[in-house]
Amino acid sequence: MTENAPLILIIDDEEAMRDSCAQILVRNRWRAETAEDGASGLAKIRDLRPDVVILDLKMPGLSGFDVLRSLAEIDSRIVAIVITGYATIDSAVEAMKAGAFDFLPKPFTPEELRIVLGRALDRRRLTLETEALKREKKALEEHFITMVSHQLRSPLVAIQQYFEVILAGIAGEPDARWMDMIRKAGERVRGLLGLINDWLDLSRIDQGRLLGQFRPVDPAALLGRLIEFLSPSARAAGVTLEWSAAPPRDAARITGDEESLEQVFSNILSNAIKFNRPQGKVGVRLTTEPGWVVIEIRDTGIGIPSESLPRVFDQFYQVAPREGGVRKGSGLGLSIAKKIVEAHRGRIDVASEPGVGTVFMVCLPAADAADAG
Amino acid sequence: MITTRAKLLVVDDDADFRAAMTTILESASYEVVTAANIEEATQRILAERPDLILLDIMMDSLFDGYSLCHAIRNEDKFAAVRTTPIIFVSAVRRIAGSRFGFKSEDQGLIGPDDYIDKPVDPKDLLARIEKYLAK
Repeated sequence: MTENAPLILIIDDEEAMRDSCAQILVRNRWRAETAEDGASGLAKIRDLRPDVVILDLKMPGLSGFDVLRSLAEIDSRIVAIVITGYATIDSAVEAMKAGAFDFLPKPFTPEELRIVLGRALDRRRLTLETEALKREKKALEEHFITMVSHQLRSPLVAIQQYFEVILAGIAGEPDARWMDMIRKAGERVRGLLGLINDWLDLSRIDQGRLLGQFRPVDPAALLGRLIEFLSPSARAAGVTLEWSAAPPRDAARITGDEESLEQVFSNILSNAIKFNRPQGKVGVRLTTEPGWVVIEIRDTGIGIPSESLPRVFDQFYQVAPREGGVRKGSGLGLSIAKKIVEAHRGRIDVASEPGVGTVFMVCLPAADAADAG
Repeated sequence: MITTRAKLLVVDDDADFRAAMTTILESASYEVVTAANIEEATQRILAERPDLILLDIMMDSLFDGYSLCHAIRNEDKFAAVRTTPIIFVSAVRRIAGSRFGFKSEDQGLIGPDDYIDKPVDPKDLLARIEKYLAK
């Protein structure tokens, strides 16, 4: 509510009722508006956004129940009080079920109306305050998460930066054993930084803050870029990247947030390269089906045991590292990927055969001509 | 004839990061000045006229590299140093390329010349600085 007095709208087909109610309201220093039927009442609700609506149940044309239902759709925070000369328990119950806050049988005294309105206005104030508090809480949480992740990141970045200086030989001729240990220490720091970034992403996506505005995205271009970007690391791992798109390549279009989709495929592709065998292959295939764009990423890697397959998208799930090595990564990547895909109303599935390889399949809704326009 | 090496300004609120950057840059014989916040950075830029600026863009209400960069490119106060090469340095991760407000042909300079992730690869950093100083 603004600094203005509360605004109360009276919808009743009886002029005498509208006038006497308005008088009572004004005497109590509230602002009054009136409407003589459901249709004009709804129009005034849309225009004026009153705090409370006093509503007669039986009117020609749109009934009070019709108005109640429409009111809920326009703004469920507006409080409705139902008045009627045909007061029965049934109609009272029905009115409450339709969203009315209170029920006042005619005839009523000014005092009775005042008391009911007092309760309605309290309710209204509470509703708006709760909303404001929720918004504030959300803002504080976001600020907190950002602050904490910054506090955690900065020292780690500083540590890693010193390592980079030493490893580059800038701080003097490095001893081979020192180099080895510093490199390993650097990897642990990198892992921690990855964990913080992932945790930040996860909390943002839960808050609906990770995804930017949805725009037309060209999946072929996106995948092409990613494959080019990852080619060096694939080469370094001795893995071949194969990329194919069933024609017509240009026809595949989706609507979404490009950056987060990049993250999804980057994650799956990096894993496919990382958990592959020497001279292994990673195949990326883009196809379309009616209404869908399908991206398949197939690797010739170590595979995932069937007991673990259902848990692959769980938070913190990680394949046990080979030779008892150190676990890299946070284990959050795939759970984030799944949330991103689902936020795009898509699906992500995985199939695997240990010792042979793994296939990830991401299905995203194809952009309609209407969406892309 | 004496050839003077360029003077570089490092702006970052983390003392260790400033120290590491100074080590890298001095190893390539650059003269280094540093600033820990926007006020100091402003003073340094106006007084010392660095040949290139490394600018941290960590966002919080106290430290906003973006707005300093924008000020340098647009405010009269910085007119004499408007075209100083600026490289944004940030701990925020990017994947394949970053979407960013670089130059806009029709609007002239609106932002930085480049963008580099923390932690910085010393060789990469020095190569880029070389490139911008050569222009």
